[in-house]
Amino acid sequence: MRLRGLLWFNAVFSIMPVALWASAVVEGRVELPKSHTAPVQAKRYEIVTKGGVLSTQPPLAVVYLDGAFPKLASLPTKQVAQKDLTFVPALLPVPVGTKVEFPNLDETYHNIFSYSPAKRFDLGRYRPEERPIPTQVFDKLGLVTLRCDIHEHMRGLILVLNTPYFVMTDTDGHFRLSGLPAGRYTLKAWIDSRTTREKPVELKNDQTLHIDFP
Amino acid sequence: MRSAVQARDEGVASFRTRLFTAIMVIVATLTAFGFYLAQRKVTADAERNLQENFQAELSSLHRLEELRHAALAERCDVLAAKPRIHAAMEDNAIDLLYPSAKDELRDLMEGDEPPPEQAAPSLHAKFYRFLDSTGAVIKPPNPYDVGELDAKTERQLALSRLPDTQQTGYIRKNTETGGGTIDEVIAVPIFSSYTGDVISALVIGFKPLELEEKNAEVGMRSGVWVTGQLHLPSLPKSAQASLNEKIASAVANSDREQDNFRVNVDGAPQLLFYKRLNPGSLFPAAYEICVYPLAYSMAQLHRLRWQIGGAGALLLLGGFVASHVVALRFSAPVKKLALDSEQNRAQRKRAEAALASTTQELERSARYSADASHQLKSPVTVLRIGLEILLTREGFKPEVYEELSALLHQTHRLTGVIDDLLLLSRMDAGHLQIASTPVNLSQLVDEWLDDLSALPDSPDVKIEKEFTTGLFVAGEERYTSLIVQNLLENARKYNRPGGLIRVSASRACGSRNVVLKIGNTGRTIPPAENIFERFHHRSTPSAASGHGIGLNLARELARLHGGDLCLVRSENDWTEFEVRFPASDGVNAVA
Repeated sequence: MRLRGLLWFNAVFSIMPVALWASAVVEGRVELPKSHTAPVQAKRYEIVTKGGVLSTQPPLAVVYLDGAFPKLASLPTKQVAQKDLTFVPALLPVPVGTKVEFPNLDETYHNIFSYSPAKRFDLGRYRPEERPIPTQVFDKLGLVTLRCDIHEHMRGLILVLNTPYFVMTDTDGHFRLSGLPAGRYTLKAWIDSRTTREKPVELKNDQTLHIDFP
Repeated sequence: MRSAVQARDEGVASFRTRLFTAIMVIVATLTAFGFYLAQRKVTADAERNLQENFQAELSSLHRLEELRHAALAERCDVLAAKPRIHAAMEDNAIDLLYPSAKDELRDLMEGDEPPPEQAAPSLHAKFYRFLDSTGAVIKPPNPYDVGELDAKTERQLALSRLPDTQQTGYIRKNTETGGGTIDEVIAVPIFSSYTGDVISALVIGFKPLELEEKNAEVGMRSGVWVTGQLHLPSLPKSAQASLNEKIASAVANSDREQDNFRVNVDGAPQLLFYKRLNPGSLFPAAYEICVYPLAYSMAQLHRLRWQIGGAGALLLLGGFVASHVVALRFSAPVKKLALDSEQNRAQRKRAEAALASTTQELERSARYSADASHQLKSPVTVLRIGLEILLTREGFKPEVYEELSALLHQTHRLTGVIDDLLLLSRMDAGHLQIASTPVNLSQLVDEWLDDLSALPDSPDVKIEKEFTTGLFVAGEERYTSLIVQNLLENARKYNRPGGLIRVSASRACGSRNVVLKIGNTGRTIPPAENIFERFHHRSTPSAASGHGIGLNLARELARLHGGDLCLVRSENDWTEFEVRFPASDGVNAVA
């Protein structure tokens, strides 16, 4: 309960400063790949590999506003937990420089590591009660594939972005980005490890732009 | 006779020679055939033995390979499932591949080299490398950890593409000492545990088993031929080079993956086997080469040849002796046969000569008697005619007439004798022909009985007749009459005064003969006397006299007619003759 409260606080806090002077909104829909499995009630995502392409299952997209934004002084610490031998969340978009904690919520050892060019690290084996919680700072743009050396099926993704303006679509592909600064940018939709769609956008204050990614 | 003996001996000798030649040919053929069979068998046996040896050799190699393959497959499946390996491959972190695999494959490279029998399970490798998606070797960051290889050797590990299945290859590694070693490498595909694709391959190098010492007693030497080069360290360089060419041409000219042929190594004949070690592999073709000296089997063959040759010679000797014995045993009866036939021929010749001379004599005597009879008849006729003329003359004294009459009677007798002799000689010469006609025997006998009683000096004898009239016989009347006359005259002549002559003739019922019996009283004939002999005279003197050919003539004539004449009995003042004539049916039936 305390954890959930913290997450909520983080989310609100991260948006707040921007919202003070930016008020543009982009909303729309990303055409997601067809999911092969029936939608599940429990909102739980997995990373699947198909033909060497990593994506979430059911499909989700990350929509973000690409551009050179001033680096925020303090970034909130994020978490990718290991629960029931999966990463939660399976896909985590973070602005560059974010520190991510990897708490082990299972009753067993995990050994989270990544060989991805964006971030190579190896947390070693650790138990659930490991303190401090192992963390990594993601200071390079790109997609980081999280793996567990003990549980070979586990996959997690951290999408390191150079922007604080990003949002994950719902399972239907709908998104809404608000509090954006006015100006010309490129709106990108990350669909899977190999597919990122983009569209140029011109944002104006107090205006809602509708963008669909086919 | 001497030349005949010689010829006979030569015949026996040539028979013996032929027999011996035949035996020799048979023995030689058998020996040659035995040679051929034995040689074939020995060669086939040797080849089979060596082939089995070779196959056993290969099978041990293959067993090891299979163990390695199985162990490696398992190992690579585990390896491929390792998240770090996957991460290195999939997350473009090739530089982390070897470090990641190092822990997994650590046991492959560590420790001392185990003894060969434990080589497979322990998988003691000399080096390993990963291949990237194009089949090229991924350079290890630290070659020391994965087994150092020079660039040339490392290039041999590359494949044209990633394999789907395990591949076996053999690479040649040059050592500092100048010689080379052949290492067995196995390439194992690594499948992505998520996509199922071949993402890499692990190439592991082993030292191939050294096979040299295992079959030292057979003198077998084995090696490997790969990429056109023979690796057979126990052979001298020059021999390797010459073998190399032969294997290269054999491999190039044959589709077969295994075969064998004969080679000469340092002047010694050897049998070379080769078999593809890695059929269907992406690695260059490698062949297991085994060279077996044929000296042992050649020696065996040599020994066997001597044995068979000796047996053949013995057999030939036996054949020689046997042929002699057989020839001798065979030739003895042949010899005897030859001798017998010669004697037979001589006897036959003698008999023929005797027959010829007898015939000649017979003819001559017959001709002589005929001539003599003719020569005699003319003067007798002249004499008789002279006497008859003198008798008709008048004026002689009565004693003279009596004398003349007696002389005339003698000439008549002489004429009779001459006639008989003429007839006999004609019979003897075979010139007498019987014209067979029906003759009335009853009438003939009656006539002669009448004549008999009319004779002037006939003694006082009583005549009994017992025959029917009209008994006909088949014959010539003249000669039949002569037989009857002779017998009746004898019956009269040798009778006693007051005696009896009985003449009977009959034809038994169903018989083909008419039997005429003439018996008379008087002195009997002793049984020992052959009265039918020509010119026979009774041993006992008697008043009656004959010229001694009458009975002989009668019998000859009777026989000539198909009948016979014989003395039935002569005892107790009774002598009886019996003549058989063939009956003349036709006339009798009419009569």
